[in-house]
Amino acid sequence: MPDPRKKIQHLVSALEELRLHVGRKDVAIGIQKVNAMLYFSLANACLRGRCVLLYGGIGANKTTLVNLLASSFLSMDLEEAEDLMVTGHPEQTEEKIVGFLDPRQWTAASAAAESTQVLWTKWAKSNWKLINEINRFPSGKQNLFLEILQKRKISYAGQVYLPGDTCYFATMNPELSATYPMDEALLDRISACVPAAQPDFLAGLLLSERERELSDLARMLPRLTPQEFSSLPEKVAEKTLDSQVELSILSLIRDFTLCERAPAFDKTQLSGSKPSLGLCSGCHYHNNPEAICWQIDEGLSDRVRQDLRIFCRAFAYLLDREADLEVLKAIAPYIIWHRVTSLRSILDRPPYYGVGKLAHVAMLVEKSINRTMNERSEMNMIFSRAVDGETDITQAIEALSTFDDPVSRLDFIPALEQLR
Amino acid sequence: MKLVRFMDAAYQGKTPGRKLKTGERNLIFNLEDLADQIGEKPSRAEVQSLVPRDKNQLELLISDQPGKKHALLWGYITSLAAECATAPLILPFRDYAGLELSLGTIILQDTAGHSGSHAESQAASHVGERMTGGKIVVQGRAGDYLGQEMEGGGVIASGCRDYAFRNMRGGYGVVRGDAGKFAGLGNCCGRIAVLGSCKERAGWLMSGGSLHVRGDCGEYLGILMSGGRITVKGKAGRRAGWRMKGGSIKAASYGPESAEDLLELG
Repeated sequence: MPDPRKKIQHLVSALEELRLHVGRKDVAIGIQKVNAMLYFSLANACLRGRCVLLYGGIGANKTTLVNLLASSFLSMDLEEAEDLMVTGHPEQTEEKIVGFLDPRQWTAASAAAESTQVLWTKWAKSNWKLINEINRFPSGKQNLFLEILQKRKISYAGQVYLPGDTCYFATMNPELSATYPMDEALLDRISACVPAAQPDFLAGLLLSERERELSDLARMLPRLTPQEFSSLPEKVAEKTLDSQVELSILSLIRDFTLCERAPAFDKTQLSGSKPSLGLCSGCHYHNNPEAICWQIDEGLSDRVRQDLRIFCRAFAYLLDREADLEVLKAIAPYIIWHRVTSLRSILDRPPYYGVGKLAHVAMLVEKSINRTMNERSEMNMIFSRAVDGETDITQAIEALSTFDDPVSRLDFIPALEQLR
Repeated sequence: MKLVRFMDAAYQGKTPGRKLKTGERNLIFNLEDLADQIGEKPSRAEVQSLVPRDKNQLELLISDQPGKKHALLWGYITSLAAECATAPLILPFRDYAGLELSLGTIILQDTAGHSGSHAESQAASHVGERMTGGKIVVQGRAGDYLGQEMEGGGVIASGCRDYAFRNMRGGYGVVRGDAGKFAGLGNCCGRIAVLGSCKERAGWLMSGGSLHVRGDCGEYLGILMSGGRITVKGKAGRRAGWRMKGGSIKAASYGPESAEDLLELG
């Protein structure tokens, strides 16, 4: 079986040539520039059990793009692919979304059957699930998706359906009158959030050349065979992360999570008090532009580490390159920004003007990775030699105490003290 | 795997990098701490370099009693706080509020509830001095030097004492009541509107901009002015336009000894 990557590359070209998706190339990975919305969706199609959220205003090609990809990856017509989505509105019910009790089971002929029969919807049974306009679901309904994304199984009326390896997609509009706030726990289970912008001038010009119906054009897209589609996760897993990426991911998570004042130095344990509510006033790291901890309210969960690793690999596979630091720097902001809250006093200032949260998180990511690869090398080596027993632990603690870094002070030194 | 091997692989034999920058510096809890580090008459840049734009810390410093000694410092802090605040910053009447303000809104209120002559003595001087943008609303009578040397933005006050908008280079100033002596002295580009009356020597040495007075003006209106426009809806006092070289003065009536060619010199 040939590598499906070539077919995916044809798909990318075809989407542009047929004027089905002509977004700006807004992510630079080394010298390669790609469209974030398209490539995160493609990366998610190569993975299983992850969810990508496309966030943007109406008419930004979010839903259509996911349906076009479904048509190509699952080798089906666009109309069929459109059946694999549920759209948010306040009257959506669990019965309409996942399934309903089979009324035939109470007829005389089958009344003897002991187990309750549930007719699962196409959406529930599909291994490609699109939750359209997720923030138009009221909070209670959003919890339904939280359960599905968390447990990877669907339950209704005491029956459980295991959809198996599934690609999850969601779209979301900015806060409008008909939308509801997104549940933070649900947001944490979304692997990446990608802004979807309206077509720019040139893209608009290209789109105006599209004369034929969308469904006709969708038939012209290259289609993957079921074998090719199911082989994608293995192909991604073949990509290995180099040590620089592994180390940078570890440090990145700790940079966001460590807090000198939080219980166990873990910002995820905070409730009530947080950096934006004055927790950091007078702290040693407060207002130090080199430190990240005070600029973000929330810590990062271990899911972020998993998402960063797997999406690095997926992008490396799609772009046929090494999963290196350039990939990590480019994709990490999209994996982190929807899970955290930037300090308002920073976000409101230029160059963010209250709306550049993604840019702020990208700056923090860049800062953390650069520090890890440069300034932190010495302290990391001291720590690792002490852990491996190559140097004396007391001397290592003494040496580490000269580094004014949260990772050294709050992670390395307590760890070595336990080893002593 | 040995941790050392992992780190070696990550750094690929690179020489150790430089040490991390330290965040250690003397903590600033009040204006006294700040003055210890930069003196009592620093520039705005010096204050900005030491005082972080953190809401909580700025609030802490604003709540400190500046007295005469730290009035300048307090003024700079109010501007920094207003610039990073999303809502208007409400402050008590104090000297130098909004010093070199560039953005945001400051509202000065009589938080202590003073009235009459006591309120007069509480009037804040130098409000909005050298401001370049933003807006200051004084809900009461301002003291001397309101909007002095301002280059942009706007100041609105219920009234003011002497030297309001002195050497103004831009922006606008509105006095909803009466202004004191020397209003608009040396104004070269700003727009000033006084809805009440002005005392003597309003528009002295004006070279540009405009001064509009809805009430009456005292003597020596527009003395030595070389440009700009003065409009008085009421009466101009004695010797209006005395020794003026340019500009224009228009008033409903002029007092004795007013310049003969006063009406349209410019």
